[in-house]
Amino acid sequence: MLKGLVLALFIFLVFLIVHVLVFRAFQPTRRFDAMVRIMAVLGALMIAIHRLTPATMGFLPEPYVRAGWAVDLLNGLLVFGFLFIGYCMFYFLVDRGFSGRIMIEIESSAQRRLRQAEIAARYSLEMVLHRRLTEMVEIGRVVLDDGRYRNSGKGRSAAALFRFSKKFLQLGEGG
Amino acid sequence: MRGLMAGFLTFLFYFAVQAAVFHFRKVSRRAVALVFLWLICLPLYVLCYLALPDDSLLWPAPLAAPSDGVTFFSGLLLYFFIFMGYAQFFYMAESSVGVRTMIELTADPERGLSMEELTRIYRYDWMLDRRMKRMIHAGYLIEEDGWYRTTSRGRLVASVLARCKRLLALGPGG
Repeated sequence: MLKGLVLALFIFLVFLIVHVLVFRAFQPTRRFDAMVRIMAVLGALMIAIHRLTPATMGFLPEPYVRAGWAVDLLNGLLVFGFLFIGYCMFYFLVDRGFSGRIMIEIESSAQRRLRQAEIAARYSLEMVLHRRLTEMVEIGRVVLDDGRYRNSGKGRSAAALFRFSKKFLQLGEGG
Repeated sequence: MRGLMAGFLTFLFYFAVQAAVFHFRKVSRRAVALVFLWLICLPLYVLCYLALPDDSLLWPAPLAAPSDGVTFFSGLLLYFFIFMGYAQFFYMAESSVGVRTMIELTADPERGLSMEELTRIYRYDWMLDRRMKRMIHAGYLIEEDGWYRTTSRGRLVASVLARCKRLLALGPGG
């Protein structure tokens, strides 16, 4: 099982480096799409490396590489996949975190303090919603038609799932 | 497979318990409850792992792994990772502006809503106020006479986020 784990960590490290380089060099507009593509290519590379290299990869201790190849690969892919999901959580916090943006705005203000109205003036609801809606139109969850936004089939399913989850878990209106 | 099965089964149990607790009780400190329940279910992973048979008795050779420390650790890692994935879903449901917007759009599924109509339902002062209160409660902000400033913890987070934004060339975002 060790080979899959080590490979997953190594490939995830490669993902982070490639991700930073691609984002800095090309500044992709569809960012999450770019991340998923990088992840998919590296996932395929991981499978190839796993199948083409010996169980010890030349440096792993023999007693820990006795697992069957399929379970080792499955474990490695799960770890890589979940590391990616975990990183996405951090990435969305950095990229879209509303609270994070508020703290940055306060810190970058002249007196390093702001009133609520000043925060609202720097970052309006129209900006927040416009950005989200544009992204949701791009990924096909929302349709923009004659200045009106409505859910696509995909958006309706997602809305139904989240509405149910919010209600079932008593999460309130949220957002 | 023994570790992975144990990790997966333990998460299923955690999920059922967490869903039941949140459904039947109004939880105010949600993050604490999520983590606390996850920790409580941790010993169950050990029991589950011990209760499952050795892979060699159940699975074909390519799917069989010896019951060693690495197998045990892999299952534990899976239990942790599925929890992290679920937490991401949970917070999307709880706080995401995009999710709330999609739900508001279901009010008129055929005609949809204009930006003006949407902002009338989804009020900014409410949204901002909610976040300010949460950040004060979590110790990231302090309010003094109507002025908001960051605590040392808030400054640290703001600086890390700003650096990451710059590193990835993400722009102001939010």
